[in-house]
Amino acid sequence: MNNLRLTTFIVISLLLVACSDDDDGMALLEVESTTISNLHAPQQGGQGQPVSGEFTKFDFETGEITNSDTDWDIAFRGTTIAVNGGTATGTTDEPARTSDAGIAILNATFSEVEEVPANQVFEQDNASGFAVPTGSGNGWYNYDFATNIVSPIPGKILLVKTTEDRYAKIEILSYYKDAPTDIDPFQDETRYYTFRYVYNPNDGQTTFN
Amino acid sequence: MEKLSVIIFSFLTFYLINKGLAQDTKPKTDSLSYYDLDEVVITATRSERQRKDIPMPVKILSREILSNTGLRRADEILNEQTGITSITDQSGFRGIQMQGINSEYIMILIDNVPVVGRQSGNLDLSRLALGNIEHIEIIKGPSSSLYGSEALGGVINIITQKPTDSELNLKTDVAYGSFETSDVNLSAQQKLNDFSYSIFLNRLSSGGFDLDENLTGNTVDPFQNYTFSSHLGYKFSENLNTAINYRLFHQNIDISGNSEEWDTNITSITKHQWSSKLQADYEFYFTQYRADQLIIDPITDEELFNSDFDQRLFRPEMRLTFNPNSEQEIIGGIGSNFEFLERNLFENEVSFNSQYIYAQYSFSPLKKLIVIVGGRFDTHSEYDSQLSPKASAIYKLNDNISIKASVGSGFKAPDFRQLYLDFTNSTVGYTVVGNRVEEAVIERLQNNNQILSLIVPPEELGQPLEAESSTGINFGFSYQKNKFNFNFNAFRNDIQNLIDTRIIARKTNGQNVFGYINRDNIYTTGIETDLSYNFDKNLKLSLGYQLLYAFDKSAEEQIENGEIFIRDPETLFTERLDRSDYFGLPNRSRHLANFKIFYNIPKWKAFANLRLNYRSKYALFDTNGNAVIDNFDNSFVDGFSVLNLTLSKTLFEKYSFQLVGENILNNQQSGLLNLPGVRITGKIQYQL
Repeated sequence: MNNLRLTTFIVISLLLVACSDDDDGMALLEVESTTISNLHAPQQGGQGQPVSGEFTKFDFETGEITNSDTDWDIAFRGTTIAVNGGTATGTTDEPARTSDAGIAILNATFSEVEEVPANQVFEQDNASGFAVPTGSGNGWYNYDFATNIVSPIPGKILLVKTTEDRYAKIEILSYYKDAPTDIDPFQDETRYYTFRYVYNPNDGQTTFN
Repeated sequence: MEKLSVIIFSFLTFYLINKGLAQDTKPKTDSLSYYDLDEVVITATRSERQRKDIPMPVKILSREILSNTGLRRADEILNEQTGITSITDQSGFRGIQMQGINSEYIMILIDNVPVVGRQSGNLDLSRLALGNIEHIEIIKGPSSSLYGSEALGGVINIITQKPTDSELNLKTDVAYGSFETSDVNLSAQQKLNDFSYSIFLNRLSSGGFDLDENLTGNTVDPFQNYTFSSHLGYKFSENLNTAINYRLFHQNIDISGNSEEWDTNITSITKHQWSSKLQADYEFYFTQYRADQLIIDPITDEELFNSDFDQRLFRPEMRLTFNPNSEQEIIGGIGSNFEFLERNLFENEVSFNSQYIYAQYSFSPLKKLIVIVGGRFDTHSEYDSQLSPKASAIYKLNDNISIKASVGSGFKAPDFRQLYLDFTNSTVGYTVVGNRVEEAVIERLQNNNQILSLIVPPEELGQPLEAESSTGINFGFSYQKNKFNFNFNAFRNDIQNLIDTRIIARKTNGQNVFGYINRDNIYTTGIETDLSYNFDKNLKLSLGYQLLYAFDKSAEEQIENGEIFIRDPETLFTERLDRSDYFGLPNRSRHLANFKIFYNIPKWKAFANLRLNYRSKYALFDTNGNAVIDNFDNSFVDGFSVLNLTLSKTLFEKYSFQLVGENILNNQQSGLLNLPGVRITGKIQYQL
């Protein structure tokens, strides 16, 4: 008897859950898992000269590059990554920070980050530097003087709290056009980001599954 | 490999046939000594001592071994020895590695005094000509108890020829070979009653070569170099004699710009026998190494690199040797080092001075046991004093077997570069500063608004560096019977406080300021064996092997804790690094092996000398961004063999002809190794 009752309960619950798809108030958006290839992040200057140039802004909500001055989450210029939260760092041509987005760097594999850790602190850009520290070995990449190769540090997962207060996890895979597995620093074009991310568009949800 | 086996096979066949033919004329002497255990070594104990009585791993390369290879430079001959390999570091500087320990930590001596002029710590031994070398002594394991700083991994002592005969000994040889290489040697020596002299002159030049057309510039640029060396000796009495050794090396490399080197050594040694039991040695040594380098872009005439380097060392030392009886020996020494360096990458001329005292006691508590204990104390103007003890023992189980053990400590003081460098890379924009000038340079950069933020707390800037230090244990045995000789040694070297760079500040141009810090702890451990067999006086075979494990202890720990990741080479996704995929320190091969055949044909007055060297795969640097070398990096150099063959024939008593084939398997390697293909050299030698 008990078994039958339980089964009935489960069946009904499942029906309810299935029905809730049509119910706008309860809508749960699907967690998005995507790879962005060849996001171009050009810059002027560098190599000892003052750096300038527009940042390439990215919006997780649309999953695309954006020109919006406000509706962006993170932005790229050369090896520098800005976040739409905090204040200006003082570099030329940087976008104004218009929201309260933040970024954190975790040491883990991509799949291990199943949710935002409790009490996670998110850094923001400010006058003393970017939330993702610049320079080789400080933030997301290593630059090898001997080979002239910029490589994303393995095991660095960027956790983003977006402009809309949603969460995304990112793994940068390559800084070279078409993400070659064997990089030729003299041939392969640089400043082309390939990264994969998981974005949870649901308000209040901190999971990535 | 097939070519190789054919060569070895033909060697053996030829020998057997020849032996069969020569059967009846073969001399039969049972007392033939196949191995010269009576060879005298000076480096291990700072007193002349027979090799069989030395408790440390020691190797001697005699004049005969050197000349039978036909090789010209010290790096070439050392590269053929078990457990020693010539390496090129990430910046392109060359040096030798021994027991997995880099050139920075191996002291090189010429006639017992140290050679200076290191580049990024490496000492390029192609500077040292072999033409007037009597023998080379190689001592493995920490030897700072006698030699102080730098002798952390071992000591190589290159002993020049001294006159022994009243007849004038005049020798000249001329060699010409691949890549327009020409080598000319001239030497003369004589002993006239109380006065003795020897002079040596060498000129080596090469047309250079280019292994990679895609890269600008030559792999090896054309160069000419000259070595002049002289020895003057005078015996004032039976108990008092003085010798003055002088050596000058000058090299000019043809590049776009200018590259010149000068290396000068002057030593005066006076030996005074105070009594039959007490001897004093007074030694004054001065050396100077200068290197001027100016690289100009051949197209734009832009100055790419400009470096002037001028290092001087003056070292007086006094040594007393006391032999109360045949079982005991006490050696004590005291000395000072005065070092100066002028370099355009430094703000001012910098100088060090240090004083040291050492003592060593050798005794025989049991009939078959020799024990040596000793230590050295170094004080230094720039860093903490160092005490380096060492103890070793040899036990002769019977006539054939000896057991050896030694344990010692070594250190290497922070060098001038690590203390005073002030260098900004003009193309990339990063800055490297020495420990002592950290505060001053940061202040200057801050005043120029070049500093974005400090990474380390300001009070940490300029915190003194400690000396790098090591503990080394060697344990082994040797077996020698008739035609058979076998040596086995197991070693472990733990090196603490290795000096590495760290980021101390971020610059406004997005680059970093690097400083030096004591950080890494590494170890190298393994075994080395040498086996040789003499069929008779005319055919000798030998086999050498080293197994090596060299790891960074903190990397091992981080891997254990799951803190190090790799990127899958195909998907580029991150995974955790497995301990089994951690390959170890850069430029270390797990296996090094050599195989040698020496075959003498007396009736032809000819010999053939074949040497095969194998080095298993190694990696040059990390390529996947996790700062350790793992099996997923793509900077691995595959294992390879180099086969060298020397053929020699003597004609008309006074002439001999040599044909030297280097790398006759034609294994080319570009990149850092820069191994050209086959090189053939012909040599004519004339001896008065």
